[in-house]
Formats: sequence, structure tokens, C-alpha cells
Amino acid sequence: MNGKLAIDAKGLSKAYKIGKQKQSVLKDVDFNAYHGQVTMVMGPSGSGKSTLIAALSGLMKPDEGEVIALGESLWKKKKSKIDRFRLDHCGFIFQGFNLFPALNATQQVEQVLKYCKVKKSEAKKRAVAALTEVGLEKRLKQTPSALSGGEKQRVAIARALSKNPQLLFADEPTSALDSVSGQVVIKLLHRAAKEHGAAVIVVTHDPRLEAYADRVIHMEDGKILSDHFVNQPQDVVETPVS
Amino acid sequence: MSLALSTLIYEWRRYMAAVIALAVAGLLVLALVGMFMGIGKNFSATIDRSPAHIMILPPDSEGLGTSQPRRNIPLLFQHSEVVEATPFNVTWGQFTNFPEGEQKAVREGVQIYVVDPIPGAVTLPTDFPEDVILALQEPYSVILDVTSLNKLGVKVGDKAKINGRTVTVRATISGYPSLFNSMIFTSRQSAKLLGLVREGPRVGAILVKVSDPARTDTVAAELNVIGKGQFKAWTKPELSKRNQESMFKNSFISILLGFMLVVGVFIGVVITWQTLQGAILANIKEFASLRALGVSIGSLNLIIMELSFWVGVAGLGMTAILLVGVTALAGAMGLTMFYPLWSVITIAIMLLIISVLSGLLSLGVLKKSQPADLLR
Ligand SMILES: Nc1ncnc2c1ncn2[C@@H]1O[C@H](COP(=O)(O)OP(=O)(O)O)[C@@H](O)[C@H]1O
Ligand SMILES: [Mg+2]
Repeated sequence: MNGKLAIDAKGLSKAYKIGKQKQSVLKDVDFNAYHGQVTMVMGPSGSGKSTLIAALSGLMKPDEGEVIALGESLWKKKKSKIDRFRLDHCGFIFQGFNLFPALNATQQVEQVLKYCKVKKSEAKKRAVAALTEVGLEKRLKQTPSALSGGEKQRVAIARALSKNPQLLFADEPTSALDSVSGQVVIKLLHRAAKEHGAAVIVVTHDPRLEAYADRVIHMEDGKILSDHFVNQPQDVVETPVS
Repeated sequence: MSLALSTLIYEWRRYMAAVIALAVAGLLVLALVGMFMGIGKNFSATIDRSPAHIMILPPDSEGLGTSQPRRNIPLLFQHSEVVEATPFNVTWGQFTNFPEGEQKAVREGVQIYVVDPIPGAVTLPTDFPEDVILALQEPYSVILDVTSLNKLGVKVGDKAKINGRTVTVRATISGYPSLFNSMIFTSRQSAKLLGLVREGPRVGAILVKVSDPARTDTVAAELNVIGKGQFKAWTKPELSKRNQESMFKNSFISILLGFMLVVGVFIGVVITWQTLQGAILANIKEFASLRALGVSIGSLNLIIMELSFWVGVAGLGMTAILLVGVTALAGAMGLTMFYPLWSVITIAIMLLIISVLSGLLSLGVLKKSQPADLLR
């Protein structure tokens, strides 16, 4: 599956109304992303990066344009079907960690798996496996209050990865973290692309993360300025995972 | 453990306001019911603790304080199994104490119960101990409940006046507390000396003993046939139950209870609703992240409904705790509380309805869980 197109978006436009004025945030953007690659979207604050991922991931309908995700036209679906699509295929990592204060690390992951109709015993196994993958095997029973920022973000990553998503969206995943934790997080996202074959789309303005990108896209003022492959999608040689 | 339950336990302080509001709403109604039922039970205490098997009342009456023709008594003896039939005599009197030292002067209406201080007599409550019976046998002696001593400003051995004639408080009993007019017991002899016994053509309830208590129900039914509608024979349990129920036929009590119920539901809903909303808003980003991951709004609604259900259950638990306290407090003040099962079930349902309703009202806030807002 690596090297195949996961998302193909054409002509995305979005404008916000502020009072009587219309502010154009996405201006006829074409975007695509490949399985097995970390696609990094960079650009100054306010350039429309978050709006772009919202449109790509089914969180916010663009005014114009089409998103083909995993071969399906996303915005032609009904709302409930878009929810279902995200449940089946999408993982999200936000700047904030958004973990429930009452749940321990294992429960955070299980909570999501429950809605993926995974059996209880199976969910437990998968939760522990996902947390082990992000290096939190010693923190399974900790609630967020007992975890550091980096650990919380790793729980959030485990929560997103446990579903085996084909599309992984990360919006400024490291900007609330110190640089060491940030490195750990980007390595995990990189691994998700390489080992699970996911299309990983990372929005960031942290230049240190560029080292892990297979492709770097620069945005400014709602437009894509440059699109540069570090590794060609067909170049990806790591063991493909179905 | 579910997310809803874990959250409630973890953030219990946040939910305390709702839990207490629910408990107060429940307590308000339940304590009121308990008090009235307790009073009703006190009224029927005389029925419950009478050795009589059957009580004869006028056909249209359900309480002991009514009157019927005295000629009903010989009518009862037409039944061969009736072994005793004596009128129940309760009258009102004016009680005055002789205040000494610290004692306050008391001048108060009391209920005077006339008994025959002979063991086994149909008018003598079954729980009167030997020494109390002996005390009652003395002329001009009266006995009263321990909790009434203070209210009437007397102690054992003191003299007092009933309707202007001097009596002596000879002993006390317990288990006959009274919120309003104190109950005073005296013997038929003393009552005659005090001018309290009505010898006229009308009598109060007639207390009946039958030869075989196991046949009480049958005898009562047969007496009703003999009476041809001139009186009604009640078995003790029937009358006791009817007495308690009649409490709630009183329109003032029903209105008060209904009012408390409405106020309780209103306060409960408003506070629980606001608390739930605040709690949801506090976790709105977490809910939004679940939405982003594809969890439907319906599933999130279910979490909120489960949460509100557990808040209701916690409120119920809190009601129980507060109720134990209130009951103990009332007991210390000589007030018996009694909570019939129906009232407990009603309150349990009421609290769950309040909490579920509050949950439904709070669902609107979930719309604020826009996952796109998490993207910054
Ligand atoms: N919900 C909104 N309503 C109005 N304006 C918005 C909204 N969301 C974003 N914007 C505006 O759109 C522009 C692009 O936002 P965003 O996509 O978040 O940029 P970036 O993620 O690159 O910082 C910004 O100027 C922002 O103020
Ligand atoms: Mg942004």
C-alpha cells in the first residue's frame, strides 16, 4: 500500500465571514498525501494550515473543492457517514492532549476502541500494545494528572494509533512540548507511517521536525507556495503493512 | 468502569452541588411524608397497641374520635364469639401545672385516654408495664409519655390540675410521643372522679375482644351483617392502615406535599442541569477529541445520560444519609418518623426523573464540542 495516494484534494476553498467581510483562508488549494509518508505542512501562523486539515479530515466542510480520501469522495457523504469514516480510518493528534482527567492511560485508549466495536478483552490487549509501542508500558495505570506533557501526548498518539488508522492528522503536535519530548513524538508519527503504512499529515511550524519529513509543503496566505519531496513515495522500501 | 462513572467519582466535588440539591429535594418531600406518617402512626398507636381484635365505628367513620349509639354494644353480643365490648373513651381536658422553681407555667389542652387498669382489659394498651398499671389504679393518678414531661412542665410525683381538679403524675411510659396535644392516661375510676366519663346515650369507638383471635376476620364480617349498616366492624390492621391513609386525604397536607414536590423537582432540575452543563463544558475538548476520532454525537449523548443517571443514584444515596440524620434528630425531639415503602419508591423515581431530565436539558451543550475547534 505504501506509495499509493491516500488523499487527493482538488480546488479547496474556504472563507470565514467576519461581520460583513469575508476572509479567504483557503484559496483553491490542491493537496495530496501518500501512504507510508510523513507529509509536513509548514507555514506562518494564520496561513490556513489547520483549516486545510479540517477540510481533509472531514471535520469542516470546505466551501468548494473535493476531497478523495481512501478512494471515497469525503464531502459527498452524509454527516453520520463522515463520522463513521473518521472512526474507521482517521487518527488525530492535537496541540492539546484532550485526555479525560478521570481515565488512566489504558482506559483512554479503550474508551475509543469501545466505539470501534472492539471486544473488551481485545481492546485491553490493543490498548496495552499501543501504549507499549509509544513507550508507556510503565504508565498504563496513570491518570493524566500524573503524566508529563510528553507522556500525555504519547497517550493521545496511542489512542489514535490503536485504531490502526490509514490517515493520521497531527496539528502542531509538538508545540506544547519541550524539544526532547517533541523528538519522541515526531519519531512515533514517523514510525506510524513506516510500519503501519499510514498517511501521516503533520502541521507544524517547528523546523526541527523537518528531518523526519518525507515531503514538505509550505503554505502562506491560504495558498501552497512550495511542495518538495525528500523521499519519493515509490522510494519507500520499508516492509509494507496491509 | 464506564467513563461516566469514573468521571463522577474522580470529579465528585464538581457534582456535589447537584447531588446535594437532589438529596435536599428528596429529603424535603420524604421528611414531610415521614413526619405526617409518623404522626398518623402515633394516632394509630392506640389502635395498634390495643388488645382489642375488632373496633366498632359508626358506618361513615374511620377514626376513633367519633360517636355512635350506646345500644350498639348489646347488639354486638348477639355474636356468640364476642367476649368483651367496651367503649373507647378519649376526651379533651385542660391541663395546668403547679410551676416550681425553673418550671414554666403551663395551661394546655390535652387528650385524655381512659383505660381500665386491669391486666387483659380491652382498653388497656398491651405495652403498659406492671408498675404503670399499679400506678393507674390509684385514684387521681395520671401517667404520660416521657417526652411530654417537659412540655407540660411536670415531673413524676408532681401534682397538676385537669379541668380544675388536682391529679398526681404517678409514672411515665414511652412510645406515645405527640407533636401536638400530649396524651394523658388515667383510669376509668379517676376519670369518673374528674368528670371525664360520658355516661350518655352515645359512646365512642367500641373495642371488641373475640374468643378465638384467629377468627377475627370472619367475626368482623359477621358483625357487619348483624349491624345491618348501623355500624362498621374493622379489624385492627384494617383500621390502622386506613387511619394512616386518611392523613393524606387531608387537603392541607396534600397541598403542602404537592408544593414541596414541585419545589423539590424545580430546584433539583435547575441545579442538576447547571452542574451537568458545567461539567460537560469542563470536558468539552475531550468530548470534541472523541468526536474527531469518529465517535458519534449519539454516543456522547449516551455518556451524558449515563452520567446524569449516576448523579441521580448518588443523590439517592445522599438522601438516605441525610434522612437517617433527620430521623435521629426527630427521634431526639420525640417525633417518630415513618417512611412507607411507596414514599421511598416515589422519591427514588422522582430523583431519577430529575437527574435524567437534567441530563436531557444538558445535551445541548455537547453541540459545542466542535472538533474543528481543536485545530488551532
Ligand atoms: N472559526 C473561525 N472563524 C473565523 N475565522 C477563523 C476561524 N478559524 C480560523 N479563522 C481564521 O482563518 C485563518 C487561518 O486559520 P488557521 O487555518 O487556523 O491557520 P493556521 O493553522 O495556519 O495558523 C486565520 O486568520 C484565522 O484567524
Ligand atoms: Mg493552526
